[in-house]
Amino acid sequence: MNACAAGSDPQTSKRVCVVIGLGNVLLGDDGFGPLAVEMFRCEYECGSNVEILDLGTPGLDLAPYLYGTDLVVIADAVKAEQKPGTLCIYSEDDLLGRRAQLRTSAHDPGVQECIAQLRVAGQAPSELIIIGVVPESCALGSGFSASVLSSLSLAVDNIARLLVERAIDCRRRQAPAQPNLWWLPGDFKCVASS
Amino acid sequence: MTRISIDPITRIEGHLRIDVEVDGGTVQKAWASCTMWRGIETILRGRDPREGWVFAQRFCGVCTTVHAMASVRAVEDALQLEIPPNAQYIRNLILIAHALHDHIVHFYHLSALDWVDITTIPKADPARAASIADGASAWPGNSRRALEAVQNKVKGLIGSGQLGIFSHGYWGHPAMRLSPEMNLILFAHYLEALEFQRKACQVVGILGGKTPHIQNLAVGGVMNAINLNSLATMNMDRLGMLQSLFQELVPFVQQAYFVDACLLAASYPEWFRYGRGVANYLAVPDLPVDAKATQFDLPGGVIMNGNVGSVRPIQNWRDQAIRAAVAEDVTHAWYQGEGPQQPWKGKTDPDYTDFHDDGKYTWVKAPRYDGQPMQVGPLANILVGYASGHALTRKWTDTALNKISSVPGPTVTPQDLQSTMGRYLARAIRSAMLSDLALQHLQLLTANILKGDATTYNPPQFPQNEIIGVGMHEAPRGTLSHWVVIDKRAFSNYQAVVPTTWNASPRDQKGNPGPYESSLLANPVADPVKPLEVLRTVHSFDPCMACACHTLDASGREIAQVKVL
Repeated sequence: MNACAAGSDPQTSKRVCVVIGLGNVLLGDDGFGPLAVEMFRCEYECGSNVEILDLGTPGLDLAPYLYGTDLVVIADAVKAEQKPGTLCIYSEDDLLGRRAQLRTSAHDPGVQECIAQLRVAGQAPSELIIIGVVPESCALGSGFSASVLSSLSLAVDNIARLLVERAIDCRRRQAPAQPNLWWLPGDFKCVASS
Repeated sequence: MTRISIDPITRIEGHLRIDVEVDGGTVQKAWASCTMWRGIETILRGRDPREGWVFAQRFCGVCTTVHAMASVRAVEDALQLEIPPNAQYIRNLILIAHALHDHIVHFYHLSALDWVDITTIPKADPARAASIADGASAWPGNSRRALEAVQNKVKGLIGSGQLGIFSHGYWGHPAMRLSPEMNLILFAHYLEALEFQRKACQVVGILGGKTPHIQNLAVGGVMNAINLNSLATMNMDRLGMLQSLFQELVPFVQQAYFVDACLLAASYPEWFRYGRGVANYLAVPDLPVDAKATQFDLPGGVIMNGNVGSVRPIQNWRDQAIRAAVAEDVTHAWYQGEGPQQPWKGKTDPDYTDFHDDGKYTWVKAPRYDGQPMQVGPLANILVGYASGHALTRKWTDTALNKISSVPGPTVTPQDLQSTMGRYLARAIRSAMLSDLALQHLQLLTANILKGDATTYNPPQFPQNEIIGVGMHEAPRGTLSHWVVIDKRAFSNYQAVVPTTWNASPRDQKGNPGPYESSLLANPVADPVKPLEVLRTVHSFDPCMACACHTLDASGREIAQVKVL
């Protein structure tokens, strides 16, 4: 079942957690989010209350996937002052405190707007964390730059750390699963977790 | 003369810039510009046509399924491959659920706040609001208690000084004219709409395997296994889940969204006089009900010069006239090339020059139909259906017009739909129609399965020689077509002519502006620093530029700008 069907289950009182990759896989390093969550899925095993989703670039259509959840971890490419490949972790306050402008732009996947809407509706996630990497190139179909790939395993392990710290069932797999990186050339090798 | 530049103008993916020259309080000249290169389909060249749709659904993060569908239809057209009835119905249900989701989000979350001033909500009388809403609709969310709860939330929000995203609205603008009670009703449904978006997503998830990127398509049909005796496939349980999801979604669309759009239209009748623009309309037929795709539940056709008395029908996707008529002009777009190009021969070689009012100024090409600019979208859909005497279109259009005319004020006719407000209303009419059709197509699927037909896929056979095809879909934003050339079993050319390309088109070689540009002419602008009226007209098209790298901006840089030059 997919995250749209999610929502806290009062019977089990299990917290609903969603790990989301954002970004366009056809635009080079912008596909970092989908790459990171796919590698996370292959290297870690989680309880049934954790969903792992590649949502692409949904804009405001992100809202249904956040609706009524407890913890949301979003992996994404972020625009920041640091050099390409830098891993940045943001809390929801970091994100929301910055600005609220006239209109969102292409450089904004709608996270702020969705959270604000869901807050008023009383359905916002209890906690939202963004694991971002600063991209080097978001050109059409160019695969990943070395600087971004060098942060991949760190990003994947940090997703797991954030879950474990919150007592959410997440264990490293004994044998990693085969990643489905369908948009990359067949000979693509990613330098993943050791 | 004041020049206003709004960049970006969309609330979702993409870079759209609108420039207008204002004189005497109205727009005299307008330019629509997409500020990012849109050549994403070049990534498909050389790829296996069977997997094209997987890439195509990444063209845009919002319009995922529509590109996937147009892509498989294009390849099937090239192969002249029929798909089984079950596959048609399953695809149709996905497209309907996606469209309902998209239209709900557009009305409430992308554009309602251009009309609804939430800062007046604390002044509303919830009892009066409940009686207005009750008088208009049977929607259960309209109780006094429910509306009071929403009012308290808004009071809390305003009291805390944390309006958040709502702080950027043009609150108090003279063009905001709804009563506090109407603002309360619409904002209450804005919040409720979030829940119904999820239900539409769930339908797509059940049928497509995942959302927003569906997994079940194939050239030749769908990959859903059907077996009424198996727990793991499409069975009566799944069909029952779909039925109950639609039974929750349909009342919201028909009793809340549709009625709200009518109330909004009745409250802002002057917006039936603005924003007509290009009055040539194009819609392609969609929701096929047979394997050969000869019968459709949404009619297609062409209307020229606003003459709704005369429509040239497009009977099916094999229509030869549309194939011959469509060409893209790049005179004012940042691409190389001379003269209009037919999409199968289309090229996408950039030629960036900076913004020149009389030269090149956008990354959007100018698609033309027999040399004429065309408006596409729900309005084209509704006008073509109404003019062709399509019963379902007439039923819901007449219901809307009667509802609006029952409120004191000017009578609204089908002719008046050719306007900014008409586009909002047409989207709501289309949603009400699609809601009826959702239940019908689910019934068609169920009946066909119960008849013992479990076929969902006809395997494609690819020849070595060159073949061409076009895949059409009447998407939420209008006519979408993918034009493919397949040679030696790989794509040798791939061009997507998307709805926003038709509507956000720049001027062409004859100097004729596109629909956004011409719809803005004579729009009022009360305050050049707060060009709310411009946003209303542009948002009425539901822009989606679908071209951008969307990197999250964590640096706190100001992005949106209104420049008065």
